[in-house]
Parts: sequence; C-alpha cells; structure tokens
Amino acid sequence: MSGTRDRIETWFEKTANLIYDNRYKTLILIFIFILTLTAQIRKITIDVSTEGFLHKDDPKLSQYEAFRDQFGREEMIIIALKPPDVFNLEFLTELKKLHEEIENKVPFLEDVKSLINARSTRGEKDDLIVGDFLENWPETPEEVNELRNRALANPMYKNMLVSEDGMFTTIIIQSQTYTADLNKEDALDGFDDSFETDTEEAKPESNGPASKNYLSDKENGEIVKAVEEIIKSQNIPNTEIYVGGTPVVTHFLKRTMMKDMRKFMAIAIGTISLFLFIMFRRISCIFMPLGVVISSLLSTVGLMALTGTAIKLPTQILPSFILAVGIGDSVHILVIFFQHFNKYGKKKEAISHALGHSGLAVLMTSLTTAGGLLSFSTAAVAPIADLGQFAAAGVLLAFLYTVVLLPALLAIFPLKPKKSGDTEETKPIIDRLLKSIGKISINYPYRVLAISSVIIIFSICGMARIYFSHNPLKWFPATSSARIANEKIDAEMKGSTSLEVIIDTSKENGLYEPALLNKLEETTKHFEKYKSDKVFIGKAWTITTILKEINQALHSNDKDYYKIPGDKQLTAQEFLLFENSGSDDLEDVTDSQFTKTRFTIKVPFIDAIAYTGFIKYAEKYFTSNYSEEKITITGMVSLFVQVINSAIISMAKSYGYAMIIISILMILLVGRVRIGLLSMIPNIAPILVMLGIMGWANIPMDLFCMLVGSIAIGLAVDDTIHFMHNFRRYFEESNDAEDAVLRTLHTAGRAMLVTTCVLSIGFFTFMFADMKNLFNFGMLTGITISMALLSDYFIAPSLMIIVNRGKK
Amino acid sequence: MKKIIISFILIFSAAIILMPKYLFADDQKARKIMQKVEDRDDGDNMTGQTEMILIDKNKKERRRKIKRFTKDKGEDTYSIMFFQHPADVKDTGFLTYDYDDPDRDDDQWLFLPALRKTKRIASSDKSGSFMGSDLNYSDMTSRNLDDYDFKLMKMSEVRKKKVWVIESIPRSKDVIEETGYKKSVLFIRQDNYVLVRAVNWTKNGGYLKYLDVKKLELIDNIWIGTELHVTKKKGKKTVHKTILKINNVKFNQDLNYELFTIRRLEKGL
Repeated sequence: MSGTRDRIETWFEKTANLIYDNRYKTLILIFIFILTLTAQIRKITIDVSTEGFLHKDDPKLSQYEAFRDQFGREEMIIIALKPPDVFNLEFLTELKKLHEEIENKVPFLEDVKSLINARSTRGEKDDLIVGDFLENWPETPEEVNELRNRALANPMYKNMLVSEDGMFTTIIIQSQTYTADLNKEDALDGFDDSFETDTEEAKPESNGPASKNYLSDKENGEIVKAVEEIIKSQNIPNTEIYVGGTPVVTHFLKRTMMKDMRKFMAIAIGTISLFLFIMFRRISCIFMPLGVVISSLLSTVGLMALTGTAIKLPTQILPSFILAVGIGDSVHILVIFFQHFNKYGKKKEAISHALGHSGLAVLMTSLTTAGGLLSFSTAAVAPIADLGQFAAAGVLLAFLYTVVLLPALLAIFPLKPKKSGDTEETKPIIDRLLKSIGKISINYPYRVLAISSVIIIFSICGMARIYFSHNPLKWFPATSSARIANEKIDAEMKGSTSLEVIIDTSKENGLYEPALLNKLEETTKHFEKYKSDKVFIGKAWTITTILKEINQALHSNDKDYYKIPGDKQLTAQEFLLFENSGSDDLEDVTDSQFTKTRFTIKVPFIDAIAYTGFIKYAEKYFTSNYSEEKITITGMVSLFVQVINSAIISMAKSYGYAMIIISILMILLVGRVRIGLLSMIPNIAPILVMLGIMGWANIPMDLFCMLVGSIAIGLAVDDTIHFMHNFRRYFEESNDAEDAVLRTLHTAGRAMLVTTCVLSIGFFTFMFADMKNLFNFGMLTGITISMALLSDYFIAPSLMIIVNRGKK
Repeated sequence: MKKIIISFILIFSAAIILMPKYLFADDQKARKIMQKVEDRDDGDNMTGQTEMILIDKNKKERRRKIKRFTKDKGEDTYSIMFFQHPADVKDTGFLTYDYDDPDRDDDQWLFLPALRKTKRIASSDKSGSFMGSDLNYSDMTSRNLDDYDFKLMKMSEVRKKKVWVIESIPRSKDVIEETGYKKSVLFIRQDNYVLVRAVNWTKNGGYLKYLDVKKLELIDNIWIGTELHVTKKKGKKTVHKTILKINNVKFNQDLNYELFTIRRLEKGL
C-alpha cells in the first residue's frame, strides 16, 4: 500500500514539473477548456416549479401531465379582495375595471373568472337564461341586493368567487397550459394541406397529445408580475387585496432564490478573500485560489447548461458550496508550497514538493466529498440528484484545476520568498491549545469516549423527535406578501390549491349513467364534510355541479331540481344543451366523449406531510367506491406529497450509500479493514449529533436539511483522512501512539482547523438567506463540520491511543 | 349551410385592441371585395343533412347528425335543426331566428324530448361553441361589415385558385367579446368571391382556429362548401378539430314558415 502511495506521490511531483516547464501551454489549454464550458452558461434555465422536483419519468409526474393535457393548468392565481362591502355599486365597478385590466394586460391567459363573468344559468318561466353573472349591470341598490342574494345562494360561487360570509370576493386567473404563440406569418401556414386527396379520411395527422412545452417559469413570472403591476396601479379605495395561489408562490420562490444566490456568492467570495489574505498576506494568494474555485464554479454551471439541467431550489446552494469546498484544495497546496518556497526560494522545486506532499491527500478528500455527494445522484427528487451529480463534478473539477491551473499560475506569477511567516506569532497559542487537546486524549481516552458516547446517545434520543416537513410557503418570512396572501386566502376562501381525482369509466358516454352520477354526488357531499386536524376542504366539485345547475334552470329554477336527472336521455340532452349554451366549462371537468370526469377537492396550502393521511384516505375512498372505474389521484397536492415521500426514501438511501462509499475509501486509504471501519466512528458521530440537534431544537427535516448529512459526511471525512494519514506516518516512524497523536495534531491538526473555518463560514453564510430552509441548512451544515473537527480532535486520537496502546 | 360560409366571411376578424387605430386603417379595395362576398347569392329555402365529426386531442371521435332547414325572411334568417344521431339526443331540436338588426339579440328555442318542454334560450354571447364543435355561434350568424376594418394583405393561391388574403379586425371591444375573436385573416377566391379559408385568433387562451373549406360545390348555381374542417390549435399543435360534411344540399325547396315554429320544433321531423 505504501508503495502505491509513493508511486502516486512521485507521479504528482513529475506532473508538477511537467506543468512548470510547459506553463504557458498549460494555461492556454486550460483556459480554452474553461471558456468552452463557461460559454454554455447563457443556455442555463431556472425552474422552481413543484413539477421540477420530480424526474421527467416519474409516474406521478406523467399522471399530472396527462391530467394537464386533458383539463388544462390547474394552478390558479387567486386575487382575494376585501372591500367594505362586496355588493356595492362602486366596488363592483372597480372590480369590473380590474377584471378588464387583467384580461387586457396579463400575458398567457387562458381564462379570468370573477363575479363579473361567472357562469350564471337560470330559468325564468319558459326562458333559460345563460350568461354572465353581471351581464346586466345593476343600477339601483335593490338590484344590487338581489345580486347579493343570488351570489350567496349559488353553491358553485361559495368559497370560489365569494367567501362563505360574503366579505371576500376573488378574481381567479388561469394561465395557458402550454407555451408558444405564433407570429402571423407562421400562423397562416397552419393549414393541413395533406387532406387534399383523401377528404374522406377523418384523422388529422397533427393531432395527438399536445407538445410538452408547458408554460415556463419565466412566463409564469411574467404573468405574476403583470398581475402585481395592475393591482398596484388600480387603487381600489378601502379594499384589502391579496394575491396568492401556487403560481405566485413559485414566482416568489424564484425571486427570493435569485436574490439569495447573488448574496451568498458575494459573501462567500468576500469571506474567502479575507481568510486567504489573513493566512498568506499576499494579494496574489487571494487571486490564484479564487481563480481556481471561480473557474470550477463556472465550468460546473456550464456543464449543467450543456446537459440541459435547470437550476432548481436545492441546486441554488451549488455556487457557494463549490466555492467553499474548492478553496480547501488550494489552501493545502499553497501552505506546503510557501513553507518550501520561503525556506529555499526555488519555485519549481517548491511546486513539485507541494504537489508531491499534498496531491494525494487532496485527491482523497476530493473523492470522499464527491462520494458523499454522488450518493444523491440516484435520488427520486430530481434537483437533489442534479445537485449530487453536479456538485460532485464541481468538486472533481476543483481538484483538477488545483493540480493543473494553480501550479501554472504559481509558475507565472512573480513571487518573492518571505522570511519568517507572519503567522508565527499566533503559532504558540494554537500549538499550546492543540497540545493540551492531545494530552486529554492521551491521558483520558476512555473518559473522552464515555463523554462522547453520552452525547451520541443523547443525540440518538433526539433523533426520535425529528419530523418531516415540506412546505415552501413556510420557507418565506412570516412578513412575506406571498405567505400572508396565501394564508389569508386559505383562511377566507377555504383553500388555494387542490387534489384532483380522475374517475375514468373507459366507456363512451359512461358519465350519463344516473347511478354513477348519484354516486359522484354522494362523494362530493362526503368530501365537503371531511375534516382532519390539519386538512379541511373548502369545496369539492365535479361534472355533477354543472348538471344540477342546468337541471334546476330547466325546471324554472325550482330548488328541488338542483339534483341529478334520473333519466339517462335527459342527462345527455341537458349536456348537449349546456355545450350549446355558450359555455366551454364542460371541458374543464370531462373529456369530449364523457368517458371520464375530474373531481376537484379544494384544500389549503399546508405542509405536504399533513396531506399524506388525507391522500391515503381519498385513495381508499375512491378505489373502494369506484371499483369499476379507473381512479387516478393527481393535482398539485399529490405532486407535493410525492416530492416529500421520494425525498424521505432518497435520504435514507443516500445516507446509506454515502456511508458505504466513504467506508470503502477509508479502508483503502488506511490499508486495513479494522482501522478503516474504526475511523468511521469520528465520521458518523457529527452526523448523529446534528440529527440530535434537529430533534431537540424542533427543526423540521425538509428537503434541504436532508442534504446536510451526506454533504457533511463527505466533508467531515476530510479531517479524518488527514488525521489518519499523518498519524499512521508518524506512528510507523516512532511506534509511539502518544507521540504520533501529538505530532499529528501539531501538523494536520492546524490544517484541519483552517479548512474547518473556511468551510463552516462558507455554510454559515446561508444564514443570511431570506428563506428559512436555507438558514437551517447553512446552520446545520456549519455546525456539523465544526463537530467533525472536534470529533477528530478528541474521538479519533482517543481511539488510536486505545487501539495502539497495547502495541507499545 | 351556405349561411355558415357567408357568416364566416363576415366574422372572422378581430383586433389587437391596444394597437393604434391607424395601423389598421380600413382598405377600400378589401372592403369592396368583402361587400361582393356578402352580396353573393347564398340561396334560400335550403335543406341539408349535416354530419359533424368532433375529434379531440386524443383523436377520439364523436359523430352527430343533424337535419337542417333554412329560410330567409326579408333580411332575417330562420333555421330549424333536429338531431338524428346519437340516439340519446335524437329529436332534440333548435329553432333560431337570426335578425339582421345588429341591436336585436337572436331568438333561440330548444326542445328537449326527454323533458318534453321547449325553452327559450336567452343569451347574447355568441363566442361559445356551437354543438360542442369548434365553430361558435358567431360563426353561424351573419355580421355587419361596418363592425370591421379590412386590409388586403396579399395575393396568394389556395388549391391552385387565386385568392385575396384579407385581414379583418373588429372595430370595437364589444364585437370581440361577442365573437370571441380578436383578429382574422380571410382567404377569398378571386373567381367567385367565396371564402375558402380563414384563420382566427381567439380572445381567450390564445388559440388559433383554422377554417378550411375542403369541398366547394356549385349546387343550383350557388356555391356552397360541403366539407369544412375547423382546427383549433395552440401554436402548431392541434387541440381539437371539427369536420362538417353537408350532404343532400337542396335549395329552393318548398319550405313553409309554418316549419319554423315552436309547434313544429316540438313535433319533431
């Protein structure tokens, strides 16, 4: 094993010499490589949608897309308005103005619904009146009053357009499902000329499920922005206005993410520069390592763009992660380089010495970090898999640039050796500290382990208290307008998102069957009554809502006829009439052949975990009551639950993989199975403590906190590698465990302190985020990395003392 | 059924209302063409059998068969339709009085055999679907040329016949509301002033509706499209499609005004 190690070290030295001799060629080559990747960045896309959390081939996502293809985009922007009085002529005029402004100015609209144009189907004697609710504009207070009574009596409007108490009214905006508007010239080319010869053939060739070009995040943002601007410019007196719904949440997530990302990068670069300056006191030593890590970052983002991977919520941590992790590589090389260079003043030798000394360690730490990250690469949550792959790529690129770009830069930059390092004054304090730490492990190894065990057991107890959570709304500060608006809408309009169920009879006109329609009616009533401690249902509706409405209207508005007609023929004819009445609303609840219907259950936007029980309940209810029909459960809520469920499974897997990958690497590095496995104890301990802190501090385990474990183990292990690497070397020399521990702490211990500072500061910068999830993520990772250092200062030496004592 | 074609000519139009008016200044040449299209003889006392094939985005088809009678009364048009297929809606009937006076809403009655009742439908919105097809009511009724600005865009060819390509833009928001179209481009054959193609931009949802007269026949010296394809598209993808075939078209039949009454509607064919 040590033979292999020697060979690798020699190889690094030779490579360094080669680079030094060809420094300009190397620089040019590597710059071309970096620029090629960087040039791709302009193609990068951003996607913060809930769909984006799932892999393209996730069956739940396919179901959702099929649903969307059939019934349109189900996510709505909801504008809730609370005027002094909804049914007041002045306010209704303002509402109309606002409605029209939205229709005229908001892009990518499918439909805008409010009291102004709400479907109103009524019967008066022998007349059937089909039209908009406010088609005939009221002029007298009596007329307004009559409208109030009609609106509050309409079951379809309740909790949709008017709140139960009549205090709130809404404007509901549905966007287009797909992107793409054609210009006029392209539009004129849309005729199907191939029909020329076979007019009898009834099958259009370009038919089929429409393109998968769903409305993009950017277009969604344009819609939300347009709505916000209209709201701002329309000053409705004494009226509270709330703009909510999942499209708004998505837009806010994106806006906050962009802001946060810029902030993190600035802070990360700032702290790294400051740290580098303090450490080396040379301006060139700020720019060279920064050049390396920024190149790694740009190349990684370029790789993402090249492979068409969008930046999503979890991947936003990538930039600051690569900056913080990558800088460690440069630091290790530079420390050794300057030690040698300041002493002998020979640049080429110093470079080759530094690479020979630290190259292998840097390679190993890069591999373990990448290994920890790669454990995410199979995650069912798409952006976490992306994060795993690209962060790993970034770490390996950082390694490559450190051993190629950094030596070339060192070779070219004019450097002068400095005698007596500036850090000398601080040395004694740290030395004394490290020495006393070493003494503790040497003198009381069992006590150290006992105390550690107590802490670990305490942490394990805390782990039982961990609860899972996924609620993007709660990531926003409580004062954020998107959060306030959604909470208000959830409270007043009884929900802002929905669970969608498709009931498919697989028979043409299957929905005409009175038995099925009556069952749907019962189900509606059943769900409108459902309530658990977290989920309440604002409203449930399906095709029967339209049918009842038209049946009543056809029977002179007699309330007794607000029900399903008992006769199949009548049902068919009433639907035909409805199709003919100027409303396209049937398209929203059924397909053209009446084989399947959509059943919508409106629910509040709450934690995905809270929906789990409700969805299970709905699944059971529908499958047992509709045994002959095919049931599909989908909708935003279902996706939401899928995201968190996949995440939990992925997390368990990735923790397992990370553990295995890193154990193998440790065994390879140490060269012995037993010691390798033993060295995993100081690696795992900080993770357990982190989980314990989460449990005791009531920090929810969300998508971001789940990442902490695998990321931290990949980083924590670096300290252990340095410790074991050095300990072994010194122990082989002196065969004295105590001496080896002290010497290891004296050399590697210092480097570990330095890298831990950089890394933990890098992660603590996330605590400046506006989003709470990132705050928690940064704090926990920072703490875990600090714990890892402590664990290598105490647990690792104690273990080595105990294991090797007998051999002395 | 000729009625339909005429009406298409007149309505396929709409405006991007935010654009300055002068951009769409009326074009006298185009208006003259449109006037000739409107003045063309569209026949009277017509009977015909309409087959409607509705094809959704999953390529699922639905077929409906309708017997239809049309008669002019002065400038107004009366029509009565009876469903013959599918069986569920057989004998369901629609009676429509389409008034030339733009200020007067059309009258429409329907008879549901299962309910054994006739209802008058009061609605001024014509942008909704006609019988679940991709045609809407405004496509079926005649419109006032004065409601639109016309502009001759270019000459072109459709199925080897020369056509004028005319852009038609509604002059008021009300017309857009009523027809559901904010703009149309019409293809008018130069030899007989028949509209053979049109593209409509819908007000809601940003769809494009393509009307294509696939079969044009000269019956009793009157040009009539006997096969229409209406394709509703989003970008380049078809969302829905309607094929209308009109068989057994006869003009100048002995149709009595007695046929266009509620009594006849309830009696059925």
